Amino acid sequence: MKILGIDTSSVTASAAVYEEGKILAESFVNGKLTHSQTMMPILEDMLKNARLSLAEMDAFAVACGPGSFTGLRIGISAVKGLAFPAQKPCFGVSTLKALAYNLLGFEGVIVPAMDARCGQVYTASFLAREGRVERLTEDRALSLEQLGEELSAFWGEKEVFFVGDGGNLCYNKFRQEGRVCLPPPHLRFARAAAVCLAAEQEQPQSAAELAPRYLRLPQAERELLQKQKAKGEKTNDCTGK
Amino acid sequence: MERFISHSAAETEAFAARLAGKLSGGEVIAYFGGLGMGKTTFTRGLAQGLGWEGEVSSPTFALVHEYRCSPPLYHFDMYRVTSFDDLYSTGFFDYMENGGVLAIEWSENIETALPEDCIRISFDRLGDEEREITVEGLAL
Repeated sequence: MKILGIDTSSVTASAAVYEEGKILAESFVNGKLTHSQTMMPILEDMLKNARLSLAEMDAFAVACGPGSFTGLRIGISAVKGLAFPAQKPCFGVSTLKALAYNLLGFEGVIVPAMDARCGQVYTASFLAREGRVERLTEDRALSLEQLGEELSAFWGEKEVFFVGDGGNLCYNKFRQEGRVCLPPPHLRFARAAAVCLAAEQEQPQSAAELAPRYLRLPQAERELLQKQKAKGEKTNDCTGK
Repeated sequence: MERFISHSAAETEAFAARLAGKLSGGEVIAYFGGLGMGKTTFTRGLAQGLGWEGEVSSPTFALVHEYRCSPPLYHFDMYRVTSFDDLYSTGFFDYMENGGVLAIEWSENIETALPEDCIRISFDRLGDEEREITVEGLAL
């Protein structure tokens, strides 16, 4: 089964074609350009260079969140459009799970982290062993402090690998705590080939069912509301209420 | 902190155009000050200073207007943005990665989400036409 995978969940964009243990084509761009401008040319050129056609694809996979709001919508819309005409199956893969699959074959705890702003990261923990990746926690938004508490069980027990665009942030925060590793760039960022690999464990969906999975930032939400509440009270004071 | 007294819309635009010369892309400019203070006028000057020759209008309805000058200018109005989900779904955080300049009206509504190194510009009304414009976080 040939799977065409796409990732546009963060600043990088990539596309890949995967078939039973083989990556047939892969393309990766890390530029400041908007994915709406780069994704389709990347896809078209990659397929052309690999002498592949869209008609040959049996399924589509996409990193469907968490991640950049516009990025996720671009990737998911692209896959919906590609899959819909021939009603081909789609796989919506957690961006964090796909990042963990970058280190398939490693031994240790893999912690993908994406910068969610406001001092928080989108993160989850995975256990990599014996050529498999097992999920330990759900995808969530956590502050670095909360993540630290959660990871404290692993310090001194297992090697912890930080991947994703927030990997550097976590590595610098926790490097003194235990055996931590920041993998090199070709393993650290989201890759469409890893999206395809992770898709093999997912249930297929129709193009219509495919949807982005945004994650809420509970802490940021609270702070923004507090600020507005404080502002509202101040306004009331001014009007003498 | 820099203070500038503007006596007219034309002076506000000229001041903003001068400020634009100090921008290289990636800056977030947060406006503070109520309705009719000249924030859109200021942004018009900013866009002109960055080489934009077309019109500049208030993004209240569209939430964000893009001006493809160099660096590009993204003009936001946060008046109707009241929750973090609203903010996220304007693409605000994505625009911050684009290397452009972000100019934000009603920054009061998203103050906790503003980057620490943002440029803060406050507008105070001195008279019908006169405004005091205070710039923090950028040397002019």
